[in-house]
Amino acid sequence: METASLKHAEAAEAFLRDEENADWHNETLWFVRSKRDRAAHSLPEWEQLREQASQIKTHTLSRLDDYLIQLEENAKKNGITVHWAANGDEHNRIVHSILQQHNASKIVKSKSMLTEECHLNPYLIERGIEVIDTDLGERIIQLRNEPPSHIVMPAIHLKKKHIGDLFHQHLGTEAGAEDPQYLTEAARIHLRQKFLMADVAITGVNFAIAETGGFVVCTNEGNADLGAHLAKVHIACMGIEKVIPKAEHLGVFLRLLTRSATGQPITTFSSHFRKPGPGQEMHLVLVDNGRTRQLASPDFRNSLKCIRCGACMNTCPVYRRSGGHSYHTAVAGPIGSILAPNIDMKEYADLPFASTLCGSCSNVCPVKIDIHQQLYKWRQVLGEAGAVESSKKMGMSGMDVLFSHPWLYRFAGRAGRWLMQKFPSLANKPSLNPWAIHRDMPKPPAQSFRDWYAEQNKKTNG
Amino acid sequence: MAESTTRDTILAAIRRGKPDVQPLPATIGFAPNMASDQFADTFLTMVKNNGGQAIRVTSLDEVNAFLGNEYDLTLPVLSRVSGLDISNFTPAEDLRLLDDLHLVVLEGKVGVAENAAIWVDEPVMGIRALPFITLNLALVVSEKNIVGNMHQAYPRIDTSVGFGAFIAGPSKTADIEQSLVIGAHGSKTLTVFLLADAGH
Ligand code: SF4
Repeated sequence: METASLKHAEAAEAFLRDEENADWHNETLWFVRSKRDRAAHSLPEWEQLREQASQIKTHTLSRLDDYLIQLEENAKKNGITVHWAANGDEHNRIVHSILQQHNASKIVKSKSMLTEECHLNPYLIERGIEVIDTDLGERIIQLRNEPPSHIVMPAIHLKKKHIGDLFHQHLGTEAGAEDPQYLTEAARIHLRQKFLMADVAITGVNFAIAETGGFVVCTNEGNADLGAHLAKVHIACMGIEKVIPKAEHLGVFLRLLTRSATGQPITTFSSHFRKPGPGQEMHLVLVDNGRTRQLASPDFRNSLKCIRCGACMNTCPVYRRSGGHSYHTAVAGPIGSILAPNIDMKEYADLPFASTLCGSCSNVCPVKIDIHQQLYKWRQVLGEAGAVESSKKMGMSGMDVLFSHPWLYRFAGRAGRWLMQKFPSLANKPSLNPWAIHRDMPKPPAQSFRDWYAEQNKKTNG
Repeated sequence: MAESTTRDTILAAIRRGKPDVQPLPATIGFAPNMASDQFADTFLTMVKNNGGQAIRVTSLDEVNAFLGNEYDLTLPVLSRVSGLDISNFTPAEDLRLLDDLHLVVLEGKVGVAENAAIWVDEPVMGIRALPFITLNLALVVSEKNIVGNMHQAYPRIDTSVGFGAFIAGPSKTADIEQSLVIGAHGSKTLTVFLLADAGH
């Protein structure tokens, strides 16, 4: 238990040891965040657009059964075979059985966080299937035998030197070559062969539309399309929360998704699949894997509105400074820290603590998920369940006491500032404050805002 | 667990756990942030921002002349735009042979000014893989089919087709140290011809 809940902090410490890389990671993600800001500010209706998106998702969750039934019915009419999977294991078995029916041994797969969550790749590889991830970032980490560290930028933890070495070893590029253009071209040639030879293509789903029985897949590289249109069989895998009621709602989500993710106005390819192509077969796998449990929890069901844009990661001071792998789960960062404990509370008990609760994540989230509040709620749930390692629990129950006693909170604030001014090393002691490892606590202000405000008030009034 | 049982179990769990019905927003979408006489210029600017090439033309002859200058039309070319007869390539049953394609020219049905996304659907493509597998892609869009934003685009597109895509630029990636590289897997170039309305 103790070790499980310390995983994130330990991994973060390891990540921070390569200072140069850690700084680059931090700054690069902040740059992506600022591109997001510019894109958001370019639309005067941005906040209302978020509100519409949030309401569409809230509505959909409140009628999720109806929309899934409608999706299934319409998809079947379109000639798509629909499957339901209770968990990752059933999902993997369904995919594998489709491959067996077609004697398929070569698969190309575009980015799908769901298949990461279900650990589809190792499942298929163990059964003798060649699975090639075709998104460039995913291919890079697949060759390195690593999981993605970010849901939109899977290889953001790597520098071009790492990728140059990797491609030299696996794709035969020149030793020491680091030019991104050259390396991308090498990957293009390598993957083109894989696209042309694949028996089956697997893709994720960004949005499934109940009204049309179709689904939308967004990529910048065009890899989902090359796979799906060339292979005889297309299997699309989605979590049940990906359904939306109508095609017109796509207008709202597609305007938000990439502006939030990378600051682009839209992905290069937003592909709307509705029927299998001539001579092709199309399957849609609907996966629960804990989502109905999350839906049943009023505190956490909002997390199911997520459209996987990654904005909450790019803005998160902890994510930027600890790297995606430190979260030891398929979806990292603030949203992943809400989703993961729902799947395995013990294993991921540390994640809701990998946050400063600054609220930046909630501010950028295009579907207005109250991310930081859910993280705080998880801390309470985990504390009650006894799943929290003792030093963090003490800090947390202390916080609970503070929050429920406003006078004590005011006093503790003043006392804290006094203590930190006199003994700054105290708060920086890792044993007392797990967040102080590799982080210097900010200098305490001489006067708190509350004290300052009171003083100003006195001045003006008296 | 049999699949039909799984379906029922999931639906039952949703019914037990879902909140009370919440309403959809009263209205969906927004009016464009520009006057309609700015659609064309904004669209062309955005095509360039997306990494494409944007050309105003008044006839298909101009398209033809431009492509002849820009590309070696003796290499495999496939045009599916009626009136633009520059094809020298006949697709075979085996889709893998499409890998030879140097240039594909298609009609874009709707163009969106705000993001330069261009709707291309299965009836226009003929073969779904075409715009993705070709080395170079050109799209011809009529000026009258440019709309302001995505909310205006959806009522204009036929969602009953088997497949359709909004294409906004050549294929790209930034997966290596966030450096933008054009030409990841799909077409390495995109040329968009904005065809002035007849009578202009
Ligand atoms: S929680 Fe919100 S910000 Fe984070 S990935 Fe999901 S949609 Fe994006």
